[in-house]
Amino acid sequence: MQNLLDNMDLVNGLMARYGVRFGIYKNGTFREQIFPFDAIPRIIPKEQFDYIERGLIQRVTALNCFLNDVYGEKRIIKDGVVAEEFVFSSSGYLSVCEGIRPVKGIYTHISGIDLVEGKDGEWYILEDNLRIPSGASYPLIARDICRRVSPETFVENNVAENRDYAALLKETMDNCNCGGINVILTPGRYNAAFFEHSYLAERTKSVLAMPGDLYVEDDIVYYKDYSGHPKKVGTIYRRLSDEFLDPMAFNPESLIGVPNIFDAFKKGNVALINAPGNGVADDKGIYYFVPKMIRYYLGEEPILKNAPTYLPFYEEDRKYVLENLGRLVIKDVAEAGGYGVVFGRDLDAEELSHMKQLIKTESRRFIAQEVIDFKDLDIIDNGEMVPRKADLRAFVLYGKEVKVWKCGLTRFSRNPDSFVVNSSQGGGFKDTWVLSR
Amino acid sequence: MGIISIVKANNLLWLGRYTERTYTTLRLFNQYYDQMIDFDPAAYQKYCEQLGIPDIYGDKNTFSRNYIFDAADPNSMVSNLTRAHDNAIVIRDTISSETLSYLEMALNILKEGYKEHAPLLEMQKVLDYLMAFWGCMDDYVDDEESRNVIKVGRYQERLDLYFRFSMPYDKKLKEYSKLGNRLNKSHLQYKRESMLHLLDIIEADSDEQIARFDAISCINHLLEEGF
Repeated sequence: MQNLLDNMDLVNGLMARYGVRFGIYKNGTFREQIFPFDAIPRIIPKEQFDYIERGLIQRVTALNCFLNDVYGEKRIIKDGVVAEEFVFSSSGYLSVCEGIRPVKGIYTHISGIDLVEGKDGEWYILEDNLRIPSGASYPLIARDICRRVSPETFVENNVAENRDYAALLKETMDNCNCGGINVILTPGRYNAAFFEHSYLAERTKSVLAMPGDLYVEDDIVYYKDYSGHPKKVGTIYRRLSDEFLDPMAFNPESLIGVPNIFDAFKKGNVALINAPGNGVADDKGIYYFVPKMIRYYLGEEPILKNAPTYLPFYEEDRKYVLENLGRLVIKDVAEAGGYGVVFGRDLDAEELSHMKQLIKTESRRFIAQEVIDFKDLDIIDNGEMVPRKADLRAFVLYGKEVKVWKCGLTRFSRNPDSFVVNSSQGGGFKDTWVLSR
Repeated sequence: MGIISIVKANNLLWLGRYTERTYTTLRLFNQYYDQMIDFDPAAYQKYCEQLGIPDIYGDKNTFSRNYIFDAADPNSMVSNLTRAHDNAIVIRDTISSETLSYLEMALNILKEGYKEHAPLLEMQKVLDYLMAFWGCMDDYVDDEESRNVIKVGRYQERLDLYFRFSMPYDKKLKEYSKLGNRLNKSHLQYKRESMLHLLDIIEADSDEQIARFDAISCINHLLEEGF
């Protein structure tokens, strides 16, 4: 690995050459910046990854069952396993999806599951991202670049191949294709993850479409070809959120949606990846119930643990949270991207009191979790090796089978005092080496 | 044939134009720069006049620096290549990351080159990267239609610049022929009578301003609205 680390300048030069960036809005201004890459990888031994893989397949399978159920029979609610207050009041629950079954019953085509490794060696699930999880392209291109700079490093260390992500994604798109071309639908150039959209389109040989490139006629989606030959679209890997997807079905003010695309989906004429309505299953409040879902739908004990979580909505939990607020982390269920996360230990007396009041009056709005003391990973910072907090986003793809990509996006905080690893908040990323033996 | 939307065709076309604008004006700049340092410090004024851009520079040194590196100057090379890049980045799936990377590297030099000890020397790298960009385009872009559209843009721009700078007859005829060839291969809708008129102007080989303006107008209105 030393050879790779000695050639970091070459790696960074290639990153700039290929424009590996992400966009960020600050004070109303969009700018793109290089996503800081640290060449020291996260290394996951084979046995450990096998265990994580089993746990992730189990979890995503259960979450997919939940989505089928919640927009269908609602057995899990009727049986009192999941409180209905957390389903129907979730901003991710879409009543228009009631009774719609996506192609092959697959909702969660691409899941990004965030995990951390505790200092006790246990892996904990922090968050499920079932809407439009991003980030796979970064370790994908980073590996490609690192392999060019130091190919022997990967052979000598028995690192499992990660360059099959495009093939996995294409297989996932093909599996639910309703007849037509595969399209990656991007909101446009000024989306934070535009690099990823365009790069994945290139790698999967899909067509990268802007919203204006698509139109719906008689419940069929077409791509407008400039030479006058419309192409039927079979699968859309859409990278815009539900609310903006179709102004006729969701937010009528959306200018980046495709009118009537939801009708085409409803009729089974086009597959949407991921299916609309998934937000109900990755709601921070619903997270609490996922272990229960696994037991309910699969009759199995969860392999991977949740971080210990409390729902102030329940009186007993609320009492505990109010008594222990100073050592818990509070998350606003409506927020994402590292926003709305408050560590009780960082609040002064007045702020604590305000937060307690909010928890009492808006108990459904928050969850509270024990702070997991997760393992630090070394990074190179100004030439020095220093420890930083890091998580792992694992990607699970649901095609003919449920498969876990043998890699993942390891994000780290560049701030020594912070647990927040999100790129939008200044974090960097690492490659994730899954060892093949 | 690949699948190209109207927006994508437009991006390809303008990618071709702006990349070519940077490439050809940089080559022409080198010629004028020689004149400026050898015997005519005001040669840049003639350059601006021929290109049809305002002389906002005042002297040769300001021109040499700002015309290349000033991102706030809409006519500068860095501005032109930024526009090329803006068009390229949204069609990565069509032109490939490899092709795009040469544009990225050329742009990085134009953005950062002013910091170098000998900034103008850096321009050779820009030319090299742009040549590599075109080579990559032929090698990596499988879809012939996409190659046709971008090259229509390229030859349109080159011919436009050749008229502006009163290039010799045979050079203009050569670019005209390349443009016609790509137009006929593509599905772009264009005005055939404008192409014929353009040929007449070239054949007349006149350097009168009115003929040049007529030719430039023909070139820039060659494609039908929405193709």
